[in-house]
Amino acid sequence: MGLPLFSAHGDPGPSFWHYADTVGLAPLAAVLHDEAPHATTVIAVRYDQGVVMVGDRQATGNYIASRDVRKIEPADRYTALAISGSAARGMELLKIAQLSFEHYEKMTDSALSLEGKANYLSPIIQRNNLSSPLLVLPLLAGWDESHLVGRIFEYDGAGGCYERFDFATIGSGSPFAEGALRLGFRSDLDREAALELGALALYEAGDNDPSTGGPDFVRNIFPMMITVSAEGFQEIAGPEVGGRFRLINERRTESRGVAGGSLR
Amino acid sequence: MSNYFYVSPEQLIKDRAEFAQKGIARGRSIVAAIYDNGVVLVAENPSASLNKISEVYDRIAFAGVGKYNEFDRLREAGIRWADSTGYTYSREDVDARALANYYAQHLGDMFTEGQKPLEVEILVAQLGNKLRPTKLYRVAYEGTISDEPRFAVLGGDAETIKDRFALSEDSLQSLTVTLQNASRALSGPDRVIPAEELEVGILEDRGNRRTFLRLSDEQVKELLS
Repeated sequence: MGLPLFSAHGDPGPSFWHYADTVGLAPLAAVLHDEAPHATTVIAVRYDQGVVMVGDRQATGNYIASRDVRKIEPADRYTALAISGSAARGMELLKIAQLSFEHYEKMTDSALSLEGKANYLSPIIQRNNLSSPLLVLPLLAGWDESHLVGRIFEYDGAGGCYERFDFATIGSGSPFAEGALRLGFRSDLDREAALELGALALYEAGDNDPSTGGPDFVRNIFPMMITVSAEGFQEIAGPEVGGRFRLINERRTESRGVAGGSLR
Repeated sequence: MSNYFYVSPEQLIKDRAEFAQKGIARGRSIVAAIYDNGVVLVAENPSASLNKISEVYDRIAFAGVGKYNEFDRLREAGIRWADSTGYTYSREDVDARALANYYAQHLGDMFTEGQKPLEVEILVAQLGNKLRPTKLYRVAYEGTISDEPRFAVLGGDAETIKDRFALSEDSLQSLTVTLQNASRALSGPDRVIPAEELEVGILEDRGNRRTFLRLSDEQVKELLS
């Protein structure tokens, strides 16, 4: 490939996706016909100083394809992107998002706004989901540097982008996680409370949804927990996450599997 | 009927070179130098938003002098080339030498075949690691590419600035010393360039994938004091 120069009227601007489309790199467009591993639970919860995200680690096809997948990745310093649906397409979407946000920043010497990043993904998801049976549904959460709040954006299958002001979930375990979140969410959660609620909601999803991997005490593999705040994207260390899930598990053992009441 | 006059190739090349040199000489110069811990690019630039120095990739930076719209288009093309090469293959495969060669080919083509030659001179800097060496590639308006061993000067006043900078430099220095030398070489003995009019970018390993950093006016002021 030579030097990609364009005349002023044909210039694709700072959008990597439009550029890739112009020159025929065209990511996320071809149709494949085999079923890739999918099924997931990822949760985002807003708290007073940012957002918490919790995601399971299991990739499921007809059997468990992998137990230690990372479904939440930093798209840039202040943005977390989680994926559900086709693993291949999800990874591709992650790559495109990371590359596009950095590309825009280098081309214009200024970062995209958080809302700009959320909207940018809409037509990419739309194009993929309407042209391919390998659906992908992401969840974007981040720290809005211009308004100094944590914000969450979810998408529907056709690429519609919706802001959520409390919490959001994606993946097959969503109904169970959503139930726990609806009971536990308050608008004044602090970081600690949000992490606790997020872990509990994921535990519920892992408990009820066969395609969501809960905490794996045998292999010491635990769901991913991250926060995005003014300090940027931060992943909670393995031992701390393990401790949180061990605590929930002990309470649940004590209550003999009953989820409600004081042992919740 | 219009008349066509014969112009010898020697004369044509000479005219075009003069035209490009004149355009480049109108702008202010840039010094790029390797220091003990990275690469620093220093431009005299009164504008805080129309940049001459830019990040291209994880370990590659760009600098351009001459006509802004012309080198800025080359800068954008460089970023596109780097991002799509890294996307297609791997981030490791993005190499400054390949980019400098593309620039050289394009500038060479424009010089001989274009309506007019581009009035720019550009620099592609690469911070080395275990895969590749630290490099400064200078590409002139007619497509000449040169691999500058320790430092490079771009712009109309290049020879004078080169002599001033060479005198003050004998082995790899710290960022502070290198920046001070570059600033003195750009300004000459009779004046001092205020920190706000210096655009400074560095490539340095700070534990991040992206090594480019644009220094703020305050940081530059502190390093120069």
